[in-house]
Amino acid sequence: MKVTGVKVTPFAHDLPTRSRSTRAMDAGTSCVVELSSDAGVSGIGVACCTNGAQIDNLVQHVLKGEDPRGIAGLWQRMVNLQAKRTHGEPCHEAIAVLDVALWDLKAKREGQPLWKTLGGSRPRANACASLTDAALDEAQVSAWFERMAHDFGLRAGKLRLGLDPDKDLQRLARTRAALSRAVAPPTLAIDLGQSWPTDATIRNIRDMEQEFDLAWVEGACDSSNVAGLKQISNAISAAVSVGRGLGVGEFLPHFQHRSADVIEIDIGRVGITGALQIADAAFGYELPVTLTAAPGNIHAHLAGVMPSFMSLEVLDPASASRLWASEVRIEDGWAIAGDAPGNGLSVK
Amino acid sequence: MGDCRGCTRERIERQVKITGYRVEQYLMKMDRLVGDANLPSGVEMLPGSILFLDTDENVTGISLGYGGGIESLFGVIEGADPREVVALWMRMNDYLHKGGNEGAASAALSAIDVALWDIKAKLADEPLWKTLGGTAGRVKAYASGLDYCLSDEELFAFYRRMAELGIDSGKLKVGLDLAADMRRLDIMREALSIASPRPGLMIDSNEYWSPKQAVRYIRQMEKHFDLLWVEEPARRWDYDGLRLVSQQVRAAVASGENLHNLAQVYPLIANRAVDVINVWAGQSGVTGLRQIARMAHAHGLEVTMMNAQADYMAQIAAALPNHNMMEVVDPGREHCLKWHSHIEDGFIVLSDAPGFGIEVDAAKLKDLQANPPTGRGKFPFPRREGAGRYIVPPQPGEVPWR
Repeated sequence: MKVTGVKVTPFAHDLPTRSRSTRAMDAGTSCVVELSSDAGVSGIGVACCTNGAQIDNLVQHVLKGEDPRGIAGLWQRMVNLQAKRTHGEPCHEAIAVLDVALWDLKAKREGQPLWKTLGGSRPRANACASLTDAALDEAQVSAWFERMAHDFGLRAGKLRLGLDPDKDLQRLARTRAALSRAVAPPTLAIDLGQSWPTDATIRNIRDMEQEFDLAWVEGACDSSNVAGLKQISNAISAAVSVGRGLGVGEFLPHFQHRSADVIEIDIGRVGITGALQIADAAFGYELPVTLTAAPGNIHAHLAGVMPSFMSLEVLDPASASRLWASEVRIEDGWAIAGDAPGNGLSVK
Repeated sequence: MGDCRGCTRERIERQVKITGYRVEQYLMKMDRLVGDANLPSGVEMLPGSILFLDTDENVTGISLGYGGGIESLFGVIEGADPREVVALWMRMNDYLHKGGNEGAASAALSAIDVALWDIKAKLADEPLWKTLGGTAGRVKAYASGLDYCLSDEELFAFYRRMAELGIDSGKLKVGLDLAADMRRLDIMREALSIASPRPGLMIDSNEYWSPKQAVRYIRQMEKHFDLLWVEEPARRWDYDGLRLVSQQVRAAVASGENLHNLAQVYPLIANRAVDVINVWAGQSGVTGLRQIARMAHAHGLEVTMMNAQADYMAQIAAALPNHNMMEVVDPGREHCLKWHSHIEDGFIVLSDAPGFGIEVDAAKLKDLQANPPTGRGKFPFPRREGAGRYIVPPQPGEVPWR
């Protein structure tokens, strides 16, 4: 089996809840990537950014004519190519979406769902409803989490805070009440979007912790601020989660300085191959792993092969667009990857 | 690749199931003695074992080198789909929670995991290096004589034979006699010099020294030799000692072959104690060694694969992005094996045969079991007197070179 070419189709995404904090969902435009092969099947990936030229370039220079099964080596070649670039925009997202498409091809060749090709034994993954729109009012927050609990059984919720500490407390109360329809007590996590200076972050989280049991905090401060993250972790009960936007090599200081209590992995940034590498390294430190939201919720496939997997982020349980659909469904609080060959993404 | 999509697609219709296993044990007489600082007189007898893991798809997974204790774990995977190998690894690891993935249990887990990967690749009708994501079925090799028991002439002959295959690096067993070790290092260099004007030189003392003994010994050698790495210059768990050696000598420090899972390797990586990590399938299987390699990769560390019967572990090494070169000993351990790799231009070249590409010659195995060979010594090597405290040089008659 050989890669023969690629088709990139941009689209304006029409997500019901527009993201304010998740880089991946923020661009407003996305693209569907179809990697064609000489075996008549295509590998599909969806990227939350439009960089058709970079994708074309990588396919022409690295992937064309290659066997998609050599995916670990191909990923490394693409990363090495990026590392040698001395000008132009970084192409992390382009590499990541091509890696997703390659894994899709590899699984389709075997006629297996991706989760089984990866070596997993069950298609389901513990999921967390994530509300990233900080502009919604309290009634809208309640309504959204009630729907997540009632319709999808989600027992964990994460919400974007960090604007007004008093309002944050009210929003947390709304979230807990809404999710209590599914389970009591629900798991609560927050994303502060790096809004506050370190001392204010500690003060405000401690205030929240007077009333709420927080499982983890994302965006506590800048991902590169190892000392700040460690200081925050030492001062609060909740786990400090780190990783959004980081490349594989950029996790190293957090491992070495124990500045992360939870490792956050985004397949839109590091691909599936990079995600597996980071997850095994995190397992070495016994650090729990979360997976950042992915279009079509295809990150559900990965959970079963990550020994310290904790939770995956769901922005939209019915993640799809006019152009593509996904087999992954959310039921009883689990993301279930399904049995269709590949990652379950299909182009309409 | 041939058209195998049809056949694999049919298999998808139902789960593949693990149905049973069988362990065959036997004894081998190698072509020559192998020995290190702990047993410089060497051994030529090697116990062999092969695990056969059966499925309802008429595909059998093979695992070489360890066969005991399978019954204690088989119940955990019986009836499961072998293609779910990573999850089955986690299931076995969780099952061993209380006693730990250690000792005999770890060896059994490793053997099962290797056989499961063999099955997974065979079901996909591809070599394992492809299943694991490798782009090329080739792995750079280095020669390792396990040579403390060889005469100077035999030593030269071994490394020259390897150099004729294009292998340009070698690892010498050392530790008991500085003057002899330096003389023999020069012999190894000379033998390898037809493959490279600057052969890669490594030494291995198999934990015979204390950290400070290692520093003194290695610094003496480094006055005359540029060493790539020194292996096990201190105890396997002693991250302070290993780091001390690494900081005080020019060469890199390698260790890890006697650790059996990521949890045991973790202190070495987290404390920056080693520069190169020795990996092999006994570290909780393909899945476990890949975890170690990936954690090492995240820390910018290289890994090097241990020697193996028929070089079977090259299949795994070919898919590791941070693998440097694999140990080749070639003492003659393939009596009842058929394999498809070869060494060319200094690389182990793998074929497209499915799985590990190893087949067992049943008649020869039966013959070995019925007529066990006899010879000198037998694995394993016990630790030598004086280790870590004072050096007991080879006694008269213990080695041919003294």
